[in-house]
Amino acid sequence: MERRSNLIRLFFFSIVFLVIVFPFLPLLLSSVSFGWQWPNVLPESYSFRAWEYVLAGSSGTWPAVGASLLIAGIVTAVNILLAVPAANALSRNKFTGKWLAEAIIFAPIVIPPFVAVMGIHLTFLRLGLTETIFGVVLAHLSPTLPYMVRAVMISYNTLSVDWEDQARMLGAGPFSRFFHVVLPHLMPGIAAGASLSILISLSQYLITFLIGSGQVVTLPILLFPFISGGDPAIASAYSLLFAGMAILTLLVMDVSLKNYYKNKKASTVKGQQRGVEM
Amino acid sequence: MLQKSKPYLLLLPATATIVLLFFGGLFDGLLKSLGYFPAIGKMELDLTAYTGLLGSSDFWESLALTTRVAALSSLIASILGGIIAISLFMLSESAKSGAPRFWQRLFQLPLTIPHLVGGYIIVLLFMQSGFLSKILATAGVIDDISDFPVLVNDPFGWGIIMAYAWKEAPFVSLMIYPVLTRIHSSWRDVSRVFGAKGWQFIREIVLPIIFPAWTIAAFIVFVFTFSAFEVPYLLGVTYPSMLPVYSYQLYTSGTLADRPEALAVNIILAALTILLGLAVYFFSKRWNVLKGWN
Repeated sequence: MERRSNLIRLFFFSIVFLVIVFPFLPLLLSSVSFGWQWPNVLPESYSFRAWEYVLAGSSGTWPAVGASLLIAGIVTAVNILLAVPAANALSRNKFTGKWLAEAIIFAPIVIPPFVAVMGIHLTFLRLGLTETIFGVVLAHLSPTLPYMVRAVMISYNTLSVDWEDQARMLGAGPFSRFFHVVLPHLMPGIAAGASLSILISLSQYLITFLIGSGQVVTLPILLFPFISGGDPAIASAYSLLFAGMAILTLLVMDVSLKNYYKNKKASTVKGQQRGVEM
Repeated sequence: MLQKSKPYLLLLPATATIVLLFFGGLFDGLLKSLGYFPAIGKMELDLTAYTGLLGSSDFWESLALTTRVAALSSLIASILGGIIAISLFMLSESAKSGAPRFWQRLFQLPLTIPHLVGGYIIVLLFMQSGFLSKILATAGVIDDISDFPVLVNDPFGWGIIMAYAWKEAPFVSLMIYPVLTRIHSSWRDVSRVFGAKGWQFIREIVLPIIFPAWTIAAFIVFVFTFSAFEVPYLLGVTYPSMLPVYSYQLYTSGTLADRPEALAVNIILAALTILLGLAVYFFSKRWNVLKGWN
C-alpha cells in the first residue's frame, strides 16, 4: 500500500516536472544567454544584456506596462459597475426575456470578440476612436464583461434576500444595506471576476492592435515583433516579464482580498467590544 | 410597476454595452461583408464576398486546418487534463494533507500564462534548433538540425496543437476536479470490498462519473481553439492559415476589395461558433454537468 502511493507520487511529480517546470527552462536560460548554439544544451556564456535592455528606460517597456495596466484597470472598473446590477437582476429575479438578456451578455464568450472588433473598426476610425486608449478600452469591454457578470452571479446565488431584509428591519437604508451587507458578501466574486477581466485584457493582442493601430503600445504589442523572429534573448526576457505581470496581478488580488476580510473581521470584533463596553 | 421593471433597469447598462459594442460590431461587419460601403458610395447588398469565398480553395483548406487543429488540441488537452485531475485526486486521497491545494495552484500556472508567451515557449522547445533538439543531439539521438522534425511553423499545425494542449489541459482538469472531489472515500472502500484494484476503480467508477464534465470541457476547448488568433498567427504558416488568421490576412492585405471577404470569413466563423456553443449548452443542460448529480 505504502509502496503504491509512493509510485503514484513519483508518477505525479514527473508529470509536474514535464508539464509545468520543464517548458519554462529554455525561456529562463535563453533570457540570460549570450549566444546559444545548437547542439549545446546549456548556453555557452551568460549575460544580463537582454534584461538590461528590457528594463532600461529607452526600450519603452515601462510605458507599455503602464498602458497595459491602465487599460486593464479602467476596463475592470467599468466591468464592476456594469456587472453588479446585472448579476443582481439575473440571479435574483424571474422575468420575461431573461434568457435573451443572458444570451446577449454571455454571447462574447462563444462568438470570438475580434469578429465584432474588425466589424466596428471602420466606424471607430470615423469616430476618431482608433489610436486612442479610450477606443482600446471600449474594445476590451465585451471580451471581459461576461466573465465578470458570471463571477458576481455566483456570489449573488449564495446571498439570501433575508439578510438584506434583516438589515432593513434594523433600519438600514438602501445605501448602507448595499455597502454593509451586499458588497462584503460579493467581494470574492468581484475579486475573481476582476482577476479574469485583468488577465484577459492584459493578454489581448489582435483587438488592441486593430483599434490601437500600433499607436497604443501595450506589452503584447511591444513583445510581438521580438517573439516572431527577433532576438531570442530579449524575446524570452519580455515573455517572462509579461507572464510575471499576469501572475503578480492574480497574487495581488488574492492577497488584498484576504486583507479585506482580515480588516473587516478586526473592525467587527472591535465594534462588538465597544458595544460591550458601552 | 417599479418592482416589475427593476430587473430590466438593472440589466440595462450591461446589455446596452454588449449590444452596442459587440452586436453593433457584428452587424457592422455583416453589412460590410455584404458589400455595403457608403464611404465609397456602395449602398446595395450582394453576396459576392460569400460566393467568392465558398468557391476558393484557400477558404476550404483554412477551414479544414482549423477543424483539424481544434480537434487534435482539444483531444490532447483533455487526455492530459484528465490524467492531471485523476492523479491529483489519487494523490489527495493518499496524502490527506494540504499539499494538493498547492499542486492544484501549480497546475493552473499554464492557464495564467498569456497565449503569446505560451506560444513562444513552444517555439523555444520544439523548433528545429530548439531545446528538445539540442537535448536529443547531445544525447546522440540526432546528428543534424534537419533530423529534428519541423514542428513549429509547420503546415500541419503541430506547434499550434501543442501550444493549446499545454495551455488548456489545466482548464480541463479544473473542470473535472470538482466532480472528482464529490466521490466519497467510502466508495473506494466499497469497491475494495468487492475486490476492485486501483485501475478498476478508476475505470468503473471514476471515468463514468467525470465523463460528462470531461466531454463538455473538451468541447469548450474545441470552440475556443477554433476561433483563436494569437497562437496560430505566431506558430502557423502563411498558407494554409487558420480561419481567424486567414481573415486577418485578407483584412490587412491592403486592397479594399478583400475586406468584405475578410468580414465574410468572420461572419461564417461566428455562425459556426454559435452552432458549436449551442451544442455545448444543450448537452451540458441535458447531462446536468454544471449542477452535478444527486
